[in-house]
Amino acid sequence: MSHPDIQILRIRYLRGPNIWTYRSVIEAWVDIGVLEDFPSNLIPGFYDRLTTWLPGLIEHRCGIGERGGFLMRLKDGTWAGHVMEHVALELQTLSGLETGFGKARETTTRGVYKVIIYAVQEKVGEQSLLLAKELVMAAINDTPFDLQAHLNDLKDTVDEYCLGPSTGCIVEAANDRKIPSIRLTEGNLVQLGYGDKQRRIWTAETDRTSAISENISSDKDLTKQLLKQCGIPVPQGQVVNNADDAWRASQEIGLPVVVKPSDSNRGRGVSLSLKNEANIRAAFEIASRYGTEVLVERYVQGDEHRLLVVGDKVVAAAKGETAYIQGDGKHTVEELIELQINSDPRRGPTEDFPLNSVRLKDHPQAVLQIESQGFNAKSVPEQGVSIIVQRNGNMNNDVTDLVHPEVAATICLAARVVGLDIAGIDLVAQDISKPLNEQDAAIVEVNAGPGLLMHLKPLHGQARPVGRAIIDHLFTNNENGRIPIVGILGSVQTTLLSHLVAWFLHLSGKRVGLACDEGLYMDQRKVVSTDARDFSMGERLLINRTLQAAVFQTSPWHICQDGLPYDRCLVGVVTDMKREAWDLSDHDISSDEKFKSVMRTQIDLVLTNGVSVLNAEDPFVVDLAQYSDGDVIFYSTDPDNDVMKTHRAEGRRNVYYRDGHVVLARGGQETLLFHLDFPPIAMRIKQDGFNLSTLLAGVACGWALDIAPLLIRAGLKNFGQKNSISPPIDIRTIAS
Amino acid sequence: MNVSRIRALRGPNLWTRHTAIEALVKCDEHQDDLGLIPHFEQRLRNLFPGMGALRPTERGAKMGVPHALEIATLHLQSVAGCPVTFSRTTPTPEDLVYQVVVEYTEEEVGVMALEFAQKLCACALNDQPFDLDTAIKSLRDLDEDIRLGPSTGSIVDAALNRGIPYRRLTQGSLVQFGWGSKQKRIQAAEIDATSAIAESIAQDKELTKKLLFAAGVPVPHGRPVEDEEDAWVAAQDIGFPVVIKPQDGNQGKGVTVNINTKEEVFAAFQNAKRFKDYIMVERYLPGNDYRLLVVGDKLVAAARREPPFVTGDGIHTVKALVDQVNADPKRGDGHATSLTKISFDEVAIARLKEQGLHADSMPAKGVRVILRNNANLSTGGSATDVTDDVHPEVASRAIEAAQMVGLDVCGVDVVCETVLRPLEEQQGGVVEVNAAPGLRMHLNPSYGKGRDVGEAIVSRLYPAGEDGRIPVIAVTGTNGKTTTVRLCAHLLRAQGLRVGMTNTDGVYVNGRQIDDGDCSGPRSARNVLMHPDVDAAVFETARGGMLREGLGFDRCQVAVVTNIGMGDHLGLNYITTVEDLAVLKRMIVQNVSPTGMAVLNAADPYVAAMASTCPGQVTYFALDAHHPVIATHRAQGKRVVFVEDDQIVAMQSSMQVRIPMVDIPLTRRGILNFQIENAMASIAAAWAVGIPWEIICKGLSSFVSDPTAVPGRFNVFDYKGSTVIADYGHNPDAIKALVQAVTNLPAKRRSVVISGAGDRRDEDIKEQTRIIGNVFDEVILYQDACQRGRVDGEVLALLREGLQGASKTEKVQEIYGEFLAIDQAMNNLKPGDLCLILIDQVEQALSHIMKKVNETAA
Repeated sequence: MSHPDIQILRIRYLRGPNIWTYRSVIEAWVDIGVLEDFPSNLIPGFYDRLTTWLPGLIEHRCGIGERGGFLMRLKDGTWAGHVMEHVALELQTLSGLETGFGKARETTTRGVYKVIIYAVQEKVGEQSLLLAKELVMAAINDTPFDLQAHLNDLKDTVDEYCLGPSTGCIVEAANDRKIPSIRLTEGNLVQLGYGDKQRRIWTAETDRTSAISENISSDKDLTKQLLKQCGIPVPQGQVVNNADDAWRASQEIGLPVVVKPSDSNRGRGVSLSLKNEANIRAAFEIASRYGTEVLVERYVQGDEHRLLVVGDKVVAAAKGETAYIQGDGKHTVEELIELQINSDPRRGPTEDFPLNSVRLKDHPQAVLQIESQGFNAKSVPEQGVSIIVQRNGNMNNDVTDLVHPEVAATICLAARVVGLDIAGIDLVAQDISKPLNEQDAAIVEVNAGPGLLMHLKPLHGQARPVGRAIIDHLFTNNENGRIPIVGILGSVQTTLLSHLVAWFLHLSGKRVGLACDEGLYMDQRKVVSTDARDFSMGERLLINRTLQAAVFQTSPWHICQDGLPYDRCLVGVVTDMKREAWDLSDHDISSDEKFKSVMRTQIDLVLTNGVSVLNAEDPFVVDLAQYSDGDVIFYSTDPDNDVMKTHRAEGRRNVYYRDGHVVLARGGQETLLFHLDFPPIAMRIKQDGFNLSTLLAGVACGWALDIAPLLIRAGLKNFGQKNSISPPIDIRTIAS
Repeated sequence: MNVSRIRALRGPNLWTRHTAIEALVKCDEHQDDLGLIPHFEQRLRNLFPGMGALRPTERGAKMGVPHALEIATLHLQSVAGCPVTFSRTTPTPEDLVYQVVVEYTEEEVGVMALEFAQKLCACALNDQPFDLDTAIKSLRDLDEDIRLGPSTGSIVDAALNRGIPYRRLTQGSLVQFGWGSKQKRIQAAEIDATSAIAESIAQDKELTKKLLFAAGVPVPHGRPVEDEEDAWVAAQDIGFPVVIKPQDGNQGKGVTVNINTKEEVFAAFQNAKRFKDYIMVERYLPGNDYRLLVVGDKLVAAARREPPFVTGDGIHTVKALVDQVNADPKRGDGHATSLTKISFDEVAIARLKEQGLHADSMPAKGVRVILRNNANLSTGGSATDVTDDVHPEVASRAIEAAQMVGLDVCGVDVVCETVLRPLEEQQGGVVEVNAAPGLRMHLNPSYGKGRDVGEAIVSRLYPAGEDGRIPVIAVTGTNGKTTTVRLCAHLLRAQGLRVGMTNTDGVYVNGRQIDDGDCSGPRSARNVLMHPDVDAAVFETARGGMLREGLGFDRCQVAVVTNIGMGDHLGLNYITTVEDLAVLKRMIVQNVSPTGMAVLNAADPYVAAMASTCPGQVTYFALDAHHPVIATHRAQGKRVVFVEDDQIVAMQSSMQVRIPMVDIPLTRRGILNFQIENAMASIAAAWAVGIPWEIICKGLSSFVSDPTAVPGRFNVFDYKGSTVIADYGHNPDAIKALVQAVTNLPAKRRSVVISGAGDRRDEDIKEQTRIIGNVFDEVILYQDACQRGRVDGEVLALLREGLQGASKTEKVQEIYGEFLAIDQAMNNLKPGDLCLILIDQVEQALSHIMKKVNETAA
């Protein structure tokens, strides 16, 4: 029997931390309809069909916690929503993405599930989910399914929308160091860190990579001239204007020579080791197609190496491999290339393959190379004759550990002379473990924005953590790219509280961003006058390169809708947990338990060196303290609050009101901050409608941010006053 | 007239501080006196009326055709627009041969001017016509082509005002400021701190807008569109009027503004499509185009830009009106003037068509006819300076825009009604940010005040008080240069500085040799100043390079002249007398920075006299504490270094530092006078660059004159109980100093191995053996392959001649081959003997000697 299709009711991409996880996920509401009555064990052949298509499912541990866990569930009987989740994840794995998190949860409507899958990118997540539905339905109904074709589509989407491998490895390294990242385009421009602590990368360029230096590096003749002036060995050479000139220069320099364009890179249009006039003339024509000027250089005997300089260190070195064929007396050169070179499974047409395939029609240099040895595509070389096809081929062999320290010093100097912080330097040398002046060696090129793949996936030898090296170059050990972030959640006067905290931060000398329900502020300037609590508004503060701190007011609805715009915060505040204050019906948050899973998100995000500021008077809020990775400061209008007593007994921090005083207390140690009869502050409460509780929360936040007590007091006095330095808000309006 | 050996003197030189062309000119006998060539001057003036007055370099001297050549070369350049003023013609010791020197600002222009001047003189001599206009146009075109553009030029000028040295790296706009580790680069109005990423962002208008929007900078809404229909949909979403333009175009190509209808949308889309594939539709912001220039976190200039237009008078055609406007002398062809001629090309015609006009239409009186959409100066637009009008809030938005994109130097394009009020109040916005913005509209606006934006950019590179210079010590003299250079470098290194050093053995950076051979010329000095790892530099400055190309630097902090003595290499390159040599060598003293120091040997009268030409201060040194020059200088409270009680004393007013000779191994406890002089010169130089005294003392005590540290400079070996000294000395003064040193060393018997360099004057070669003959018991003369232009045996004969009547020498041998001579001398040594070997092929000879020494030691 054929089952009706699973219905996908809605799909949301939660870009930031959410109630499910810290990372971005696709949350889909899925109606499996009558399949609710057909768990997996009741559909004949389903298990086999599914595991035949996706044998990798055996790795899914699921709730069982061991390999094969999910398959056990599948055998015992589980529902289609749950199966979709695992299938979607497996499809992502098959398309080359890292394995991620997933969940499937029932909702209050029978047959409707929330299926959550980790999705590094929205379009990829969505496509894998839709594909999972198709596949599951095909498996249920025993209909054909062209998995490979669909996977290829998915891979195309991954290629189009996900970060390239070079950028990807840098971002991954940033994540390892707990440095947050934001993609600024669909391309490879990524911001690492937030606000004024951010840095930018664009593939292997950083925001320290000088544009002028890039121009210099793309002018090979100028580069050589500058290197030579600093005593760095470069091949003697000259710029030539035509084929005659190229031949004249070659004779002057001495054969063999290299002919190449002066301003292209990655080996395009370069012909090596040319020994006769015809080849040199032909090489000139090839080179002139790729660049505005053509260089003729002395051919340096030795192997090509690529050394990657990051900062002032050589962090990886690779050695090139020469591709050659062996004659057999039967096949032509062209055929031998197919048989002996392109048959290598590592070779392929795209960047994903570690090696390029060689097609003579696309590789005029290879043709020249072969011709210079007296053969052509149609020759049939005799048994045992070996012919070099490509010299400047792929950099396959990691030789990082062999690099002589003096070679490394010279290579770093070359990068410095050109002015690049990250450079790929091409060196021809016979033995990289010996100083350059003891051998025939020369730097032939300095490249900006070098590819990293050859160091990440060398064919021979160790992979090098070049992403980490770039991150360590951008951020010193004690830098993590973070600015102080305060997240505020609750239903009572949180707008006012957000303004107050932003005001304290402003007074402490920082340029502060504030996103709250009545607007978006940047350094005291109101930029937007509508509700600014959604993800994209909040992200604007983090992208802004001038801001030094940010305060975000949020709501349970926004957490469900988008996730939070920041990955972690320094201070997380929850003022109250009144479920009735929020309408969360459209997110199916219908129990206290689910509500708590929403509210705890704010506290889950508190950094280990951060602080949770919690209202001790609300037992549900107090219960969130267990989720805080950082410290906790409780506040209460009641100095004898039991929770605070326990907290105090542990020597920890409380803020409370006693006998007219606002008190900061650490363990038994108390600081009387101010008396509420103090006129300006009394006015805050009486006239501006400040809740005492809100005021205490603000003070606690100030303390959590290490703002001096005197400044907190002063800040409270002039907060919202009609004077030039006050925030541009009407307190009475936002307090109500 | 024959012009030969044309040289470009690219730094301060014998004649002038300016860059100059130097040519050797030989004239025919009848051309030597203009007064004797009938009609020549008149014909010359007819051919080139702009030629200046002919003035003799020295009063009353006669003037020949070479003088005319000189003046013509100078004035051809200046008529073509080059700011040059210096020229001179100097006779040489050879009859009818003159050195003609003419300043240039661009080397190629200078050379070309010399060629034209030659033709001009020839034409005047032969009474032929000369096409002056073509010549001047060629010069002017070449100059416009190769000189720096106005933007880069303004930055370079600002740097020069601040005393920051610069060097062009290419024919284009890539310029390096500063030296060594203080170098910075610019390329047009872009600085080296500008990141490639920021530049890429600025080129992507969508991304730029997204980032500016994030930062709260007002930008016009819009989106990229696929095709005409999509453009129409987008335009309706955005709201009219709209702009349609290529996403990453420049210079306003393909941009259509103020679009209100579907037809206009379609036409504009097609127009944009001609230039780029990705097309944007944006909200059209009404108002004027402004360009705000942000440097760092400051707004430094602002201009209102207007497209080229003419105003109708009801009488003339558009074409005629354009011609009238273009007749304005303020409008030029290139970048030099504040306005450029309006281009009346197809773009203009197309723009006219949009207004329902063509070239021959006659617009009514007062009608404004726009000839282009964009306001670029290069196509006839105008710029009005509004820097002082910019509202602080508008300035803030511009600065935020620049910072958000990450550009240090940024042209922010703003569209609004007026910059007097915040953008937010008038729906104004930032439409674009530009890396490497053009500066001409701010430097030389069509209307209003010019702004010193070059200085703002230079201040971004070098904060006030910094000039990008590293300490440079230049050393010259006849003897002791190399040791002084090495010791100075050693003292600077002791201070922890990374030192670049050039001398006759090579170029060294931070102890590593990066070049070999004779590197005492300007090219090597320039290379050191280019090296990013150099914090201080010490240059041996030999005469050859000074004559050939001038100095490799514009000025130095310290100039050390060890001595002139009897001179060396006299007779080469028209340096015939010791006086000539002194004039040449004082070049480094003349080019001491005003805050710098000349370190001069008080005991050498030629050197002591150089003080008067030094723009900075002078430190004198001499062995004799009571030398009148020292005594006077000391009494005046100025710096002196001298010897007293086996100590080197550095003194200024009441301050004095005494360094015992025993702590300076170089002096061999004070017995080697010439090394004491080298030490004093180096001490004075280190003092001048502010090295602390304890570091100087430490450095002196750790400096040894062994073959590795100072090859060929008084290297002393113990050989089988005798003393062998190897030295590269090869002129009478060096020999004198060596003789003084050797006499101070105890020895039973003294021998010497000596050869003569063929390129010295006969009397200098003879003088060497004449000195030797009074001290050494035995002399071994040798001759080697390299005779530097002399025939076989000629030098030996001269050396022998010098030994005639020697008071001490008993035995003279002649040997062919340097190594054989060394072997012969060393094999004969007995314990207690002393042998001075004057080596020629320094490296090989030293290793030969060392090998012999080590063999016996082993």
